[in-house]
Parts: sequence; structure tokens; C-alpha cells
Amino acid sequence: MLLTVLSFALLIQTPQGAPRTIAIDEAFASQAHLKVGDRVTLSARPDTPADSAEVVIVGAIARRGADPSEVARGDYVVRMHLDQLQRIAGYGDRVDRFAIATRPSADVGRTLEQINHVAFGFRAYRSKDIAVETSRTFQVVSRFHRAIGIITIVASSIFLLCIMVLKVEERRRDIAALRLMGISRLSVVRSIVIEAGLVAVLGSVLGIVIGWVVSLVVNWHYQALYRTPLYFSIITPSIVAFAVALSLVLGIGAGLVASARLARTPPLALFGR
Amino acid sequence: MRATLAQASLIRHRARTILAVLGVAVAAAMLLDMVMLATGMRESFRELLLVRGFDIRLAPKGTLPFDTDATIPHVSAITAVLRGNPDVRDISAVLGGSLHIEADGRDVSAAVLGIDPKVQGDYELVAGRDVASADAIVVNEYLLRELGAKLGDTLTVATGFDAQTRTYAGQKKLVLTGIARFIYGAAEQSSAAVRRETLEAMEGQKRRDRASLFMVKVRQGANPDSVRKWIEGHIPNVTAISIATAIAQVDQRLSYFRQLAFILGAVSLFVGFLLVTTLVTVSVNERAGEIAVMRAIGVSRLHVVEQVIIEGIAISLAGALFGLGLGLITARYLNSILSEFPGLPMAIDFFLFQPRAAWSALGLLVASGIGAGIYPAWRAASLPIAESLRREAIA
Repeated sequence: MLLTVLSFALLIQTPQGAPRTIAIDEAFASQAHLKVGDRVTLSARPDTPADSAEVVIVGAIARRGADPSEVARGDYVVRMHLDQLQRIAGYGDRVDRFAIATRPSADVGRTLEQINHVAFGFRAYRSKDIAVETSRTFQVVSRFHRAIGIITIVASSIFLLCIMVLKVEERRRDIAALRLMGISRLSVVRSIVIEAGLVAVLGSVLGIVIGWVVSLVVNWHYQALYRTPLYFSIITPSIVAFAVALSLVLGIGAGLVASARLARTPPLALFGR
Repeated sequence: MRATLAQASLIRHRARTILAVLGVAVAAAMLLDMVMLATGMRESFRELLLVRGFDIRLAPKGTLPFDTDATIPHVSAITAVLRGNPDVRDISAVLGGSLHIEADGRDVSAAVLGIDPKVQGDYELVAGRDVASADAIVVNEYLLRELGAKLGDTLTVATGFDAQTRTYAGQKKLVLTGIARFIYGAAEQSSAAVRRETLEAMEGQKRRDRASLFMVKVRQGANPDSVRKWIEGHIPNVTAISIATAIAQVDQRLSYFRQLAFILGAVSLFVGFLLVTTLVTVSVNERAGEIAVMRAIGVSRLHVVEQVIIEGIAISLAGALFGLGLGLITARYLNSILSEFPGLPMAIDFFLFQPRAAWSALGLLVASGIGAGIYPAWRAASLPIAESLRREAIA
């Protein structure tokens, strides 16, 4: 079983010889059937003799935060006291990294420069610079989603165009009758464009409702699958605005093109005479 | 005759037919891409695992190969146990670690594998010689560029580096004898390989007679899964992973992409189906009089049904053929995006073209074309002849 061991830089005085506590994540607790108060034996390597391993008590079961870097990783996380982890791992008085919180008024750039000026054997980085480096996976996924989105938009645009053209063409006889009654070409085109616009708006509203329901299902499914509070699908006002605008432009455009073509055709020809 | 009538009906409304074919083509392209994504990843990974013929991997108990720094002790004893199974053909013990190489005053780090060159399954030699002696090292082209070195150069290599004191541990001079392509290495990863005993000597006592991974080839005709179970029964401190279990684990980790492929593939198929159904239904409604006349002069219901279904299949087929080409282009583009995943082996393809995938997509589209024609065909066949003719005459 894969254990990723993180530690808190926290030292707590405990009575000599009494087992100390650890915090484990929900997934690990569920998989290993552990609960708060259980005693477990910890070692850094699978073949460590029992007398060299540490006995600890499960002090807390933690729910994972919304950290994208943990999604799709099967690792279990154990949090323990720094000195204890250093001892178990034979790491000595070392850490992998320090996290430093600056005061709100501090100039982070200057602080970084000062640390790096005196640093010997390590280097300080701004958190957001590290985030850019470590989020490459999500940038790739994001680019992939964008590409899939473009293909989907092209497909749905053609579909919408096709449906609108068909819908207008179905009205050949109505248009012919209107033209024979003396209704002007412009009025015919206008009425069809308004109708196309209304259909596009109704379709958009229905599409938003379906999208919202699908989004709920997607979040429910993947949050349960990956045991994370992260949202996988978010419908933002800008996405809704884009979808409605695209559907209106395509609907009205298709209605305009098809109705203009029909309005130009002699009414009797529309009747098939 | 039926095909000619269907063709005439499609040609009569060229713009509409072209739009429908385009719509089906995009849906077909998406469907092919999603079929490729759903099957390609697994197939590509399987090919990658089998490329050197090793059927089983042994990792420290509870871990995946090279997922942690944990190692398996007593390599010699484990090798002897494995040799006891007559179905085991070859055993390759691999020790993983990291190297620090001094290059023009810089410290260049790389992942290193300690292997036995006779049975290794981790790299293919591109140029030069393999690690025939204890002082030889092979590197990949990325590391070669990083070092600015060439074949025959002597490198000062260490397994430990203290950044505070800028001192190296386990230092040794090695001769660069070969350039290799590391099969499981990522594109931007510095990799090197030395003999396992060389790496053990450099790492010191704590990693003596240890391996990060064993790779096992089974004899032809032997069942790898039986051998895997035998290994787990005889060597308790390892997890034996066969190709099937490795693929299942990768499937689990990348289930998101398979589910996405399934959902988008289903949506594409449905959109294509809906488009063809709509078009053919409108076409049948427009030709109600014409169909009634055909029925009145003795044309059978079956004939009418066949003609309408042929129309649906023709649109689906034309769209599918165009879409398959389009799908291959988009798959290449999408694959180029996903291949930038950090740490992903270069040889992994998310979108792998297999004739079976193309046939599956084509088959699904033809089936959807047939399905799309059923409703309008039923409408066409069940038109009341007299009433339709009367309505046509009044119109």
C-alpha cells in the first residue's frame, strides 16, 4: 500500500513512552478499516523489524482539500509530527521544504531576494511560480478540453444550421401563400427570422437546463469517484452567454439565409408549379 | 432502382444534403476519436509493457514500479527462488536511483537504472556500446545535451549531493559508452543506466543486494497469471504485476478519459442519428404525394421502406467516410496535446489508430443510419394512399 508521508512542522510534548498521534485521510481510513483511537505500527520500509517500528494512535481522520494535484492519484496521506517522521525515515534534522507566510504588508519579491542572498544550499521560490510549474498536468487537460470543446461547437453549429434550414424549407407553401396574398418579401423574411430567433432562444434555455443537470451529475460522479470536493464541471455566466449568443447567431443566420432564398423564389415555383 | 430514387431525392436538395453530410462527418470524426481514445490508451500501454517481452513485474509489496523509493532486499535469494519455477525464462533485476554529474561546474541530475545488460528491458541502444564493464554508463539524448558530452567522454558521477556543502557522495568516474532510448522515460527526462553492481557500489551498504523492480519473462506457452500467483505465494514481500493487472491499474487511474470517450462518443452518435432522422423525415414529408403515387401504381411498401432507409445509410456512409479522414487529423492533434502530460512515457499514445477502431466507428454509424431511417420509412410506408393523393391534389 502506497503511503505518502507528509508532516506538520509541529512539535508536541508527550509523556515519555506514550504513543503519539497521526492524522490519516478518509480514503486510507476506509480502505484499512481504521478509526480514531486505533493503534497502528509505522515504518519507513516494508521489511523493517517490528521492534524498530513506531506504534502510533490514529488521532484524526482528515478529509482531503480541493487540491487538483491529488486527483487521480491513488496515494494515501498520513500526517505525523516532523521529528517522528525524521526519526523513522532516518532523515536527520532535515526537511524537504519550508513554507513561509509573509505579513500582508511585506514585499514578497524583496523577501525572496533577501533569503536567496543568504541561502546556502537551497533556494526560495514564490508559491505562485511553483504552482505554475506543478499545474502542467492541468494545463494539458485544460488544453485538451478546449480542443474537444471547439470540435463540439463546430458539430453543434452544423447541426443547428441544418435544422434551421430544414425548418424554414418546410414552410415553402406557407411562404408561397403569403407572397401570393401580397405580403412583401421583407415581411416574410422578418417573420421567419423572428421565428428562428425564438426557436434558438427556446433551444438555448432547454440546452442550459440540460447542461446544468449534466453538470450536477458529472460533479456528483467524479467527486465520489476521486473522493474530492473539487468541482469538475462549472457553468459560469460567461459560458451561458457564449452558448446563447452562438445559438442566436447561428439560428438567426440560418433563418435569414434560408428565408431570403425562399423569398426570392417565385411563389408558384414554391408550390411546385 | 431504389438506390437511384434515393440518390435523386438527395440530389434534389443539395445544400441540405451537404449540410447533413458535414454534420454526420463531424459526428463521425468525434466518434472515431473517442473509440480511439477508449481503446488506444490501453493498447498503447500494453504494447509498451510487452515491447521487450517481459510479462510480469515485481515491485516492493503494496507499491507500483518506481512509484516510491522502496526497494526489494535479497536480490540473489529472490532470483534463486524465481529460477525454481520452470516457467520463468528470464529475470531482470533493476535498481533505480538518481545521479549527479558534474558538467562545467554545474550539477546535472538524472534518473539512473542499475541493470544487467544481458537481460535488461528498459532501453534500446541508439549508438555506441552497452554497459559491458563496471565503469561504463549509457545516457539518453536529453541528458547528453544537458551535459554537452560525447561518446567516449569520462564523466564524474555521484549518487548523492549535499547542496549545502556542495559535496558529492558515492562518486565514481564512468566512461560514456552508449546513447540509449529509454522505453519508459518521458520526453524531457534525463536518464542513464549503469550495471547494477556499479550502482550498488556507489550507493553503499544500505542498497547492497537490493532492487527496485524485477522484470520476469515466462516461457512460451506458460500462463503469466499462474506464474504471477506462484510468485506472490513464494515471495511474500513483493507485489507481482502481470500485464493484465498493470493495465487494470492504469485503467483505474485514467478512467476519466475512458468515461469522457464513452460519453462524447455516445453524444456524437446520437447527434448523427438525430440529424439523419430529421433530414430523412422532412424529405419523406415533402414527398408524401410522390410516395402515395408510387404506392398507387403498385410499388410495394417494402420498396418504399428500402428507398428511405437507403437515403439514411447514404448520408451516414458519406459522412462517415469523410469523417474518418477528419477524425484521424483531429486525433493526431488531440494526441499531441495529451502527450505533453508531465512524466508520461514518450511511447504512450492516447489516440492509437487501429483498423478495429475504424471499423467499429463505421459499423456504429451505419447501424445508426439504418436506425435513423426506420421512423421515416415507417411513416412513408404507412401513408394512407387515397388521402395523401387528395391532399396533394388540393395543395
